[in-house]
Amino acid sequence: MSQTQAHGPAAEAGEIEMLTFELQGEAFALEADLVREILDLVPETEVPGAAPFVPAVINFRGKVIPVADLRLAFGLERAATTLDSRIVVIELELDGDPTLIGLRADRVHEVARVDLGAAEAPPAIGMRWRQDYVRRVARRGAEPLIVPDLDCIFAARGAAGAVVTPLRPNA
Amino acid sequence: MTAQVLTVDDSASIRQAIKIALTAAGYAVAEAADGAEGLKKAEAGGFDLIITDLNMPVMDGLTMIQELRKRQALAGVPIVFLTTESDEGARQQAKAAGATGWMTKPFEPEQLVRVAKKVLGR
Amino acid sequence: MSEQDPSEVFRIEARELLEQIEQGLLDLAGRLGDRELVDAVFRGLHTLKGSGAMFGFDALAAFTHHCETAFDRVRKGQAPATPALIAAVLDAQGHMRALVEDPGGAGDGEALLAALHAAVEAGEGAPAAPAPAAASRWRVAFSLPEDALINGTNPLALLAELRELGACEVVASTGACPPFEALDPTRCHLSWTVELTGQVAKSDIEDVFIFVMDDMTLAIEPLSGDAPAEAETPLPAADAAPAAAAEDAAPRPQPAGEARRTEQTLRVGAERLDELMDRVGELVIAQSRLKQIASQSPDAALRSVSEEVERLASELRDTMMVVRMVPISNLFGRFRRLVHDLGRETGKSIELVTEGETTELDKTIIERLADPLIHVVRNSADHGLETAEERLQAGKPAAGRIVLSARHAGADVVITVSDDGRGIDRARVRARAESQGLLAPGAQVSDAELLQLIFQPGFSTAAKVTSLSGRGVGMDVVKRTVEGLRGVIEVASTPGQGSQVSLRIPLTLAIIDGLLVRVGRGRYVIPLSAVEECVELSPEQDLRSTGRCLVSLRDRFVPYLRLREVFATGAPPDPHQKLVVVSTGEARVGLVVDQIVGDHQTVIKSLTRLHADVEMFSGATILGDGGVALILDVPHLVETGQQQERRLAAAG
Repeated sequence: MSQTQAHGPAAEAGEIEMLTFELQGEAFALEADLVREILDLVPETEVPGAAPFVPAVINFRGKVIPVADLRLAFGLERAATTLDSRIVVIELELDGDPTLIGLRADRVHEVARVDLGAAEAPPAIGMRWRQDYVRRVARRGAEPLIVPDLDCIFAARGAAGAVVTPLRPNA
Repeated sequence: MTAQVLTVDDSASIRQAIKIALTAAGYAVAEAADGAEGLKKAEAGGFDLIITDLNMPVMDGLTMIQELRKRQALAGVPIVFLTTESDEGARQQAKAAGATGWMTKPFEPEQLVRVAKKVLGR
Repeated sequence: MSEQDPSEVFRIEARELLEQIEQGLLDLAGRLGDRELVDAVFRGLHTLKGSGAMFGFDALAAFTHHCETAFDRVRKGQAPATPALIAAVLDAQGHMRALVEDPGGAGDGEALLAALHAAVEAGEGAPAAPAPAAASRWRVAFSLPEDALINGTNPLALLAELRELGACEVVASTGACPPFEALDPTRCHLSWTVELTGQVAKSDIEDVFIFVMDDMTLAIEPLSGDAPAEAETPLPAADAAPAAAAEDAAPRPQPAGEARRTEQTLRVGAERLDELMDRVGELVIAQSRLKQIASQSPDAALRSVSEEVERLASELRDTMMVVRMVPISNLFGRFRRLVHDLGRETGKSIELVTEGETTELDKTIIERLADPLIHVVRNSADHGLETAEERLQAGKPAAGRIVLSARHAGADVVITVSDDGRGIDRARVRARAESQGLLAPGAQVSDAELLQLIFQPGFSTAAKVTSLSGRGVGMDVVKRTVEGLRGVIEVASTPGQGSQVSLRIPLTLAIIDGLLVRVGRGRYVIPLSAVEECVELSPEQDLRSTGRCLVSLRDRFVPYLRLREVFATGAPPDPHQKLVVVSTGEARVGLVVDQIVGDHQTVIKSLTRLHADVEMFSGATILGDGGVALILDVPHLVETGQQQERRLAAAG
């Protein structure tokens, strides 16, 4: 199994293979290295009493793994599932244990090489989302490509952190 | 003249350990990874001592010892087998098959050298 | 053969050896004169040294060699085993452990060796047992089997070895040789008589012949007179070099009289066992699907095979349960060292008694129980037991007693840590709970409930957190660990007399028999061992008790929970609701479900950390159709039921 990506300045430089996907019309990307499989929608089992961020579990190759909804972390609305909806199964280290997690996605695009070195750090203001949830903002064509900081999001259990910061703060 | 030793064991690290210990003591050591290979190399001749494990794939140590002793040309070559302390049965079987002596695992390098000296007389 | 890293193989073995050595030393501390124990410890050190050298752990081999040499003197009777010596070797053993795990970083242990030598020297004032008698003249007469030469035995080498022991006069006898024409030079017909003069013991001579001992004739007699008078009587403290050299001369075979338990055992890596367990688990799932398909098929042959597979899977699963069972003695063994150290650190005299060491548990459970139990024992030693003076004043024996016991109780294992100390101070618990906001001042709680507060996070009555018990493993973690194993923890205490902490853990971990139920669209599994009965909840009963959720069952009132409310399913209830009554031995609660689907044997899959905080569920399982069912955590639901009942009672 591959190791989790080192997240540090050194790892930010250069091109990395990333899987791009869509949530609520926004484009996201994560290291292809983390992806174990992409599933068509499978029946989900709701977990009563679970945090909204991880509302359900699924059967993945005989293991019961959580389904996480990144929309919550980014304050996006839940959309209905469509034929294009997918579950991206990633392996992430949680508290030192490699854990399989299924991420909901409205649509999955291709695996592309993304130059993280050329990507920008998330701006301090003007962002709709918690700054620490976003690792970098890259570009795909003219559109921004959000690279979420999965470690941070999962450590915080995706606690909603949408704080809308006005572009021009009142003096 | 340097004594020629053949070590037969499917564990590369054991063969390595034996080789290092005996080479340091002035012996020349060749290796074989299973009983069949051991038999072949022994038949080619020239060995003064054969050290073998009993548990090996392809041909196990016991069978190899029996085969070795069938060959006139190899009569008199000391064969030492490796065994665990509590395995009385294996020891008797191997001796009945024609082995000369044994070493209990695990062994220290000095012990190995002493046994080699003991059976070789040099 | 496996591609296992040889170093790792060695490490596993080394850990076991160090464990044995430690146990031996601890036993020896109580029985200083026991020769067999001394021998056992020595053998352990010797084997460790040998293996270490063979696998390249040179620092370990060198260090162990020194310990072995020092201990050898005890073995030979040249120095007595003293408590100081035992302590020194125990300390050294800690260093050996470090050398196994991290050969580079452990330092050279000089100080430890110095302490060890000091301990040995200190004990040597007293006259020790005499060194092995060294008669100086022997007559050795031997002959070899005829096929000895063919089988590689070299008589000249044997004679050379005898010469190394001392001056020899050798006479060969040709009496048994056939006439020359009939002589087969490959067969041995000679015999020899050797007169050996030297400082050697009979066993040294026998060692020369160990390889041929079984088939040869050998007679060794001591010859009297002419014993060189100038031979120095070996001083007990003198260099044991000659004796040591003679002993090391050849691999010494085990004394025949030694009773050895030859068990047929096979060492299997723990990961292999886990893999095997997973396969069995998957087999159970597949078999369950097969059963489902077969039950709906008109094909009698298919049904018959399905039943057969079910039977086999069940037997296989039972066998696996046994394979993974390990006696708890290993775990208890670790506590001996702990209590020994605790005694030293607290300055209290502590006696550890263990019971039920042969009780067997699943291997993984034992691992997970280790830390919690250690914490509980530390607690007892630190807070529970009084100092020797306090105990004497209270009329108790000066030594505090901690009893570790394990026994089977039905399908569970019950492990108890009890001490005869001062018991739990209720007033202090209460004060602490109130100051931590865990209890409203003046609130009425039962004694049992008060004691359970100890397990709340943030609770610690210790005025100061000592290094022993305040390690971040609090009682709340102990409780969580036990509940994570689907077990229950209980505490009882009598002021002035002592306390007992009991852990009750269900035996089977990975596969359970469960009752599959449906609530709304979700399916859930209730561990069958907790199910008392299932009844139909009539609509009248359901409606009538809108105020209180109580149902009357054979003259007892049982509180119940509507799971569709607890789970907030939002779905309307099925017309005929069912009530499943579950219990934790003491308390019961009824669970209202839409449908009871049936018995379901299932493999428990753990939930990830992301769902660890959902206390209602202890795990999940995969059903025959590939869907997922969550496994209900009965203790938690029972607790919830009780709380609800109390609230409703207080309100109404």
